[in-house]
Amino acid sequence: MTTGSSILRTEVREQLAQIKRADIVVGIPSYNSARTIGHVVRAVQAGLAKYFPWHKAIIINSDGGSSDGTTAVVQQAAVENFDAILLHHRVTPIAKLAFSYAGIPGKGSAFRTVFEIARALNAKACVVVDSDLRSITPEWIELLVKPVLDGGFDYVSPLYHRHKFDGTITNSIVYPLTRALYGKRVRQPIGGDFGFSGKLAEFYLTKDVWESDVARFGIDIWMTTTALANGFSIAQSFLGAKIHDAKDPGADLSDMLYQVISAAFNLLEEYPDVWMPIRGSEAVDTFGFEYSVGLEHVNVNTARMLRVFREGLLNLREIWLAILGSGDLREVERLAALDDTAFRFPRALWTRIVYDYAIAFHLKKLPASHLIKSLTPLYIGKTASFVMEAANMEAPEAEAEIEKLCLEFENEKDYLTTNWKRP
Amino acid sequence: MMDFLEMIFQPLRELFLQLGGFLPNLLAMLLILVLGLLLAKALELLLVKTLTALKFDSWSDRMSFTTLMRKGDLWARPSVIVGGIVFWLLAVVTLMVSLGALRLEAIDLMVTRFFGYMPRLFSAMFIFFIGYLLTGFVSRAVLIAAANSGFHYAKFLAEAVSALLTVLILAMVMEQLQIAPGIVLAAFSIVFGGIVAALAIAFGVGGIEAAKRVIERESAEKRADEPEDEIEHI
Repeated sequence: MTTGSSILRTEVREQLAQIKRADIVVGIPSYNSARTIGHVVRAVQAGLAKYFPWHKAIIINSDGGSSDGTTAVVQQAAVENFDAILLHHRVTPIAKLAFSYAGIPGKGSAFRTVFEIARALNAKACVVVDSDLRSITPEWIELLVKPVLDGGFDYVSPLYHRHKFDGTITNSIVYPLTRALYGKRVRQPIGGDFGFSGKLAEFYLTKDVWESDVARFGIDIWMTTTALANGFSIAQSFLGAKIHDAKDPGADLSDMLYQVISAAFNLLEEYPDVWMPIRGSEAVDTFGFEYSVGLEHVNVNTARMLRVFREGLLNLREIWLAILGSGDLREVERLAALDDTAFRFPRALWTRIVYDYAIAFHLKKLPASHLIKSLTPLYIGKTASFVMEAANMEAPEAEAEIEKLCLEFENEKDYLTTNWKRP
Repeated sequence: MMDFLEMIFQPLRELFLQLGGFLPNLLAMLLILVLGLLLAKALELLLVKTLTALKFDSWSDRMSFTTLMRKGDLWARPSVIVGGIVFWLLAVVTLMVSLGALRLEAIDLMVTRFFGYMPRLFSAMFIFFIGYLLTGFVSRAVLIAAANSGFHYAKFLAEAVSALLTVLILAMVMEQLQIAPGIVLAAFSIVFGGIVAALAIAFGVGGIEAAKRVIERESAEKRADEPEDEIEHI
C-alpha cells in the first residue's frame, strides 16, 4: 500500500491498511440515493463476481452526507443467491466501504476519494458509476474494466442509447465542442460512468483542482478532457440504455448549463497549446455489442421553448450584442421573427454562438455565471429547433444531424482560434 | 517730533519684522506647493502609463464604467480620468499641507478640518464604487434569471431593482459625507417608501386589472404547458 498526502479519514485509512491492495476499485458517489443504490451495488457485485473472479476488488461508496440511510443500504446490499445468476462464482466476498467523504461538497470530492483509495491500494483499474442508475447491469463492469485491464487503455468513456431528445447539452454543445477541440470522437464526454487505469487516477491526483469548481461540479468533463489533453489512450464502451432516477424537477436549466459549460470553457484556458493546432477528428476504439433499445416517449413543449427564446432576445439583446456582435445578432433577430413552424436554427450560426461564448469567457467580458446563463434562451431555441427537425426521424437519422453539427464545429474551428489569439 | 515719527515707524517696523518672520513660511509654502504639484503630475503620468499597460481601459469597457462616464459627458480615456482624479486629489492635499506651512491659526484650523474630513470622503468613494459594482451585478443577475424563465417584463424588473439600489447607495454616500444628513434621510425615506407605496397602489388599486391580466396570463401559460417538458438536458 502506498501512502501520500491524503484526505481520507483515519478509520478509512485503517480499513485500507487491512485490505492492503486491490486490482479493481469501483467507486459509487452518492447523495440521498437510498432508493436506487442497492441495485447499483448488487449489479457491481455481480459484474465483479462474473467477469473478474480472480481479481481482488473493492466497492467504495463515497457519500456526500446523505440523510436517507444511503450508506446503510450499501452495507446491507448483497446478491442474495449468486448461484441463481452465475454458474461459478468467487468464494471470497468483495470488500465494501461506505463513508462520507471529506472536502468541498460535490461529486468531484467524492471522486477524489476514489482516486486516493485507488492509489492507496495500488489498483490496476477503476470504475465510477452513478448511484441513481436503474439500467446498470453486471456487463457494465466488464465493459468499463476490461479495456483497461486487458486492452491497455487508460480511459473508457460510456456510450449509451438515449432518446433522441435527451442529452441535448451533450449533443449540441459538449460533444461537438470536445470533438472539435481535441480531435477524438468521444460521444458521451459527460456520461458519468467511466473506467480508467490506476495510472490515470494517480495523474488526476497530481492536478491542483480539488479546491476549485471541479470538486463541486464539472468533474465528468474534467476527467475526459484531462485524459484527452494529456495523451492518455481512450476507448468507449457501449452500455445500452441509460435510465436513471428522475432528477430533481426544481433543478434550474441555466444552473446546469453554467456548471457544464464553465467547466468546459475553463479547460480551454488550461490547454490552448493542445487544442489550437488540432484539425478534424478521429474515431476512438469502441467495445461492446451495439443493439437497439426501446425508449420511453419524451414530451416536449416547443411553443413554450420558442417563447422563452423570443423573450430572451427582447430582454437580453444588449448582452447578446456584446458577445455575438451585430452580424450574428441580426441573424438571431431574423430567426426570432420566423413563424414557429418555419423555425430552424442554422448549424453555422449555433456553432459561431458557442465559439463566441467561449471567446467572451476567455476575454472575461462578463462574470462567468452571467455570461453562461445568458446563453440559456439561445440554447432553448436551438433545442426547440432540433426537436422539430427530428420529430419524425428515427434514432440514426437524429444522430446523423448531430454528426453534421460536429462537422460544422470542426470546419469553423479557425473562427475560434483566430479570435482567441486576438488581443 | 521724534515721538510722532516713532508713532509712525513703530507699526511699519513691526510689519517688516512680522514680514521677516512670515517670509520663510511663505517660501516654504510655495516650495511645498511647487514640489507637491510636480510630484503629483509625475505620479499621474506614471499611473496612466501603468493603467494603460494593464489594459485598464478594456476592463473599464467590460465593466461598463466607460459607458457610465460617457453618460456623464466624460470623453477622455478611463485611465486618463483616473490619473486626473489622483492628480487633483494630490494637488488639494499638497495645497493643504503647504498652507499649513504658513503657521496661521485660522488656516491651521481649516487644514485640520480638511484632513479630518478625508476618511469620510474616502469611505464615501468606496461605498459608491462598491455600490456601483453591486448594482450592476444584481440588476444583470435579475435580468438574466427573469429572461431565462420567460418573464416578459424582465428588463423592467431589472431596471426597477437597479433604481432602488442606486437610491439606497446614493443615500448611504450622502449620509457618509454628512451632507444635510437629516434631509437625506427624509428624502431617502420619501423616495424609497414612495416607490414601494406607488407599486403597491399601482398593483393594488390602479393597476388591479393589469395585475389580474398578468397573473391570469401566467396561470394560463402554466396550464397550457401541461404536460411538462421531459427532456433530460444532460
